[in-house]
Amino acid sequence: MVSGSRLERLLRQGEFVVCGEMSPPQGADKASILKKCEYFRGYVDAVNLTDNQTAIVRMSSVMSSVFVIEGGCEPVMQMTCRDRNRLAQQSDLLGAYAAGIRNVLCLTGDYQSFGNHPEAKGVFDLDSVQLIHAVADMNAGKFMSGEEIKPPPAFFIGGAANPFAEPLDLRIIRLGKKIAAGCHFIQTQPVFDWPRFEKWMSLVRDEGLDQQVFILVGVMPVRSVKALTYMRDEVPGMSIAEEYIKRMESAQDPKEEGVKICVELIKRLRETPGVKGVHIMPVMWESITPRLVEEAGLLPRPEPITIEEPAEPEPAETTKDA
Amino acid sequence: MSKFTEKIAAFTERHPTLYRCVVTGENVFKKAIFGCQDCGQCVLSYNAFVCCMRCPKQMRNGPCGGTRPDGHCEVYPNRHCIWWLINKRAKWMRRQAKLRKYHVPVDRRLEHTSAWMNMFAGRILPIDLSRELHEVELPKREPPPKR
Ligand code: SF4
Ligand code: SF4
Repeated sequence: MVSGSRLERLLRQGEFVVCGEMSPPQGADKASILKKCEYFRGYVDAVNLTDNQTAIVRMSSVMSSVFVIEGGCEPVMQMTCRDRNRLAQQSDLLGAYAAGIRNVLCLTGDYQSFGNHPEAKGVFDLDSVQLIHAVADMNAGKFMSGEEIKPPPAFFIGGAANPFAEPLDLRIIRLGKKIAAGCHFIQTQPVFDWPRFEKWMSLVRDEGLDQQVFILVGVMPVRSVKALTYMRDEVPGMSIAEEYIKRMESAQDPKEEGVKICVELIKRLRETPGVKGVHIMPVMWESITPRLVEEAGLLPRPEPITIEEPAEPEPAETTKDA
Repeated sequence: MSKFTEKIAAFTERHPTLYRCVVTGENVFKKAIFGCQDCGQCVLSYNAFVCCMRCPKQMRNGPCGGTRPDGHCEVYPNRHCIWWLINKRAKWMRRQAKLRKYHVPVDRRLEHTSAWMNMFAGRILPIDLSRELHEVELPKREPPPKR
């Protein structure tokens, strides 16, 4: 056990976990976060708070995570390398831990030219692998400078993986690097291309990586065929199978069909060896989460067993340099 | 690297005009051949001799999640993703094992200095022409050259 967060305890108990995702508001609006927590409390085990997703300015993920704790859910704070240099990242992490945040997802971040401030300067002081390494070092009581942290934080560290972007073999190498850097769990991009996902997953299993890290696979409910074609054409690194586009096109009620596809995928993922959970990312459609979880047969959510096991040495810490 | 190379580096760094000549020479050579961005801590020998600092996000440990199906960059659709190129070239040169190396964060103090002299002085990873990945000692945290 590293952090003792709910997410970590459930994963280590061998439960199939469910994560939700919430975009913080584009305004100084705490009430809307508390309201959205209703969709997640009791339905998911942790909620991701995005960090200026697609480079559009929103409330900071640190503060929204604090509000989510207030709302009775467990946050997974996302942290990108686009907006902060290593000083700001480390100081935010210290503050986040002190405020009760235990899960952090380290990302590189979308390029600023995609967002609503395309004229901004991107920082990219670290990349995501280096950030994971830095958080693991902080867990071990060391700043990046080598100076001591007293007392150190204890984060459950996440990383991202995209099974759908090229080049596939290099992505597996990169996943291995993230694990060696100290990553505990992985969240992937949403699946809309099952054959490609299977291929990635079998490569992951061949390398034995699914034994070293908890893999949570993304799924996304879509409301219209337009959302799918938009993702296919405009979002780089996404792969959408024709099958789903046809299904959404011919559906009487596209919303219902979107839910059906998503539930089907969750059920299929549950059967896939090496997959330890799902990460439901309903972009701006958070209210659908309870229904998805219920129809996929994942209710009621299990409670973590409270008995604390003795602290064990971290397995991922050893192979830093490989 | 060794006592001898450290002496060469120290000598060069003591003589500003000579140092400037070395920097310019290295720059012209590496820019023309590899598209060098002058980061001063070269990892070319690990990345199949394609410079990863040309990536708009300056990723040093592998591609971001946005590479397009045709291998083009998410930011500039007309250019290839640097990491796609590195992977292709590494496979062709049978140097893919070298891509597994974890690269430490960029030391921004070394930008626009001579990577060759930094290597001689032992500030950065030495060039490694073999195809396999070896355990290498991380360089010491030496101060950057005076400029
Ligand atoms: S890694 Fe750095 S020094 Fe080497 S070619 Fe690229 S920018 Fe130049
Ligand atoms: S697609 Fe490739 S070159 Fe473009 S930002 Fe991502 S890693 Fe860099």
